[in-house]
Amino acid sequence: MNGPLEELLRHPALWRGDSMADASTTIPTGFRRLDERLPGGGWPASTLIELLVPAPGVGELRLLVPALRALSAERPDAPRWLAWLAPPYLPYAPALADAGLDPAHSLVIRPRPGLDLLWAMEQALRSGACAAVLGWTSAASDQALRRLKLAAAEGQSLGFLFRPPCHHHESSPAALRLLLTARNNGLDIEILKSRGGSPARIDGLPIH
Amino acid sequence: MVPAATARQLWLGAHFPRLPLEALLPASTGAAATGITEVNDPRRTIVACNDRAARQGIIVGMGLNAALALVPGLALQERRPAAEAALLDRLARWALQFTPVVSVESPDALLAEVRGSLELFGGAIALCRRAQAGLQSRGLQAVVALAPTPRGALWLARAGLRIAVTRAGAMPGLAARLPLSCLRWPADVTEALAGLGIRTVAELLRLPRDGFARRFGAALLEELDEGLGRRREPRRRHLVAERFDEQLELPAAAGSTAGLEPAAAQLLRRLGAFLRARASGLSELRVDLLHRDRAPTRVRLGLTRPAGDETHLRALLRERLGQSRLPAPVTGLRFRSGVLLPLQLREAGLFEQGRAADPRATARLLERLRARLGPDLVFGVCPVPEHRPERAWRIAEPGGITPLPGHWPASRPARPLWMLVAPQPLEGWDGVLVTGPERIETGWWDGHDVRRDYYVALTRSGVRLWIFRERPPGQGWFLHGVFG
Repeated sequence: MNGPLEELLRHPALWRGDSMADASTTIPTGFRRLDERLPGGGWPASTLIELLVPAPGVGELRLLVPALRALSAERPDAPRWLAWLAPPYLPYAPALADAGLDPAHSLVIRPRPGLDLLWAMEQALRSGACAAVLGWTSAASDQALRRLKLAAAEGQSLGFLFRPPCHHHESSPAALRLLLTARNNGLDIEILKSRGGSPARIDGLPIH
Repeated sequence: MVPAATARQLWLGAHFPRLPLEALLPASTGAAATGITEVNDPRRTIVACNDRAARQGIIVGMGLNAALALVPGLALQERRPAAEAALLDRLARWALQFTPVVSVESPDALLAEVRGSLELFGGAIALCRRAQAGLQSRGLQAVVALAPTPRGALWLARAGLRIAVTRAGAMPGLAARLPLSCLRWPADVTEALAGLGIRTVAELLRLPRDGFARRFGAALLEELDEGLGRRREPRRRHLVAERFDEQLELPAAAGSTAGLEPAAAQLLRRLGAFLRARASGLSELRVDLLHRDRAPTRVRLGLTRPAGDETHLRALLRERLGQSRLPAPVTGLRFRSGVLLPLQLREAGLFEQGRAADPRATARLLERLRARLGPDLVFGVCPVPEHRPERAWRIAEPGGITPLPGHWPASRPARPLWMLVAPQPLEGWDGVLVTGPERIETGWWDGHDVRRDYYVALTRSGVRLWIFRERPPGQGWFLHGVFG
């Protein structure tokens, strides 16, 4: 039979179990000392990660750059996007290019304050169009975070949510929660929660 | 003599002109003249009517007032699109006996690719007869036609032509018999064509192509070429209208969602095997948690992309079940799939290879975001070969191509990942300078010249900034970027 179904059944790429085990894979952070403390040796994939940051600019982006680069290089022929939701400043295209992140695959979304941000972040995560989604917000209910996490799993996307440290003691469904503090030329990282791991602390991680 | 070449694909189209009526009323009712009216339509146009109404002069497309003037006792019902869709879906599943590749053509037709099934059913004509008889025995008025192109099969069926065309390239010759209405083009186009005296597809084909494209758009011309088989039709989206529906008793009633996991895993394995056998993915999974003496707790897992991977589904299900409270111990599980979607027909490699971009997914995301947030709040960025930092980038449509950095400075100090739209004066600045200065003096030719010394600086709270001082110094510091 010449129907499309037969073409489909012959398709060699169909149903290779190994490439589908996204839920259990991790993405190396690019920082050995951090990888050693994270379950699976890196950022968990297809989920929500919460970063508590005292002020924008302490090094939270530089901390993510190696992983973002790895995520965007996963499929060189069809790279997925990197979405920026309500960033405190605009991503600077020449610096993205310097960092190995193709500016053409950056999507900047500046929603009006309020609920639109969580909605837009959920859309971006779930769409399957984005390798990673970075979002900045303070207000987010436990339920909203759950929705984001679910959307990340459905869209096989990695969500990074940046919030002020005042949310430190609230419960959160995020798979991984980190508290970042700047120290001289590096970062102190406190792992508040990690799925399948235990709380830990890394002092003075040098980031460039 | 060598028989004429049979087309590589053969599409069976079935059109149901009375679907709005048949979806609402059992076929046997026919006592009273009945008309079905359009919803949300000020004229309340008649979209279908039974034989009796037709004999009394009711015509599809008539406004309600005209219909009542003609048949004052006409029984009326509003159409129910959901019932029509459900009936069409049932018919699609019925059509699976002929081929695994069946698609629903909303609102009132089906398509099935049957080239591979011809021998099994004794040839094209026998297959069409069988399909026609099967539909009629279900009480439906149907027109079944066969053509080498999917669009062509729909045209023939909508035109009421019960014919089987198996020869590649035969469609243009049939065009003379096709009324324009079978194309289902927008009313303004059809009216404009009627104004030119064009009422059949054959007359349409005599128009100069470029003139037609200019006036009515290239898309309609392409549609025409696809229907006639002059142009390969982009692969249509298919619906394999089959469902997974399985139930499993738990060995012992479970009081918590954690206790459901082994049974859920077993059902997911069966579901995975079912999907693999059909090379399909799910669009929706409905899970019923069965209780002993009460109605099941229903959980619905909606997926934006077809999924069939057990690991992925298990993660989603765990997440979803983790949120639900069990109102009573669970005695069993029932999993039902929504519509199955063949994976390859929805962007091969998207799912199987994990993380490839689906161009349609990006387009959909952009559309959705812009629809709600407004077009200006969703954008991309692009570097520009220019020394002045604030002019070294611009807003661009996301997903474009980044120009090669051919004209960029070969090497320059690092730039911050975050930039302020315009430099801001730094008041009461008391951090430390880490590196610098980087002198940027340029732009004298266009009047927007800059003369600045840039430094990397660190605030007391550890934020790394990109700041500058105008030259000659004296005007204070400006913040231009944040390294993040």
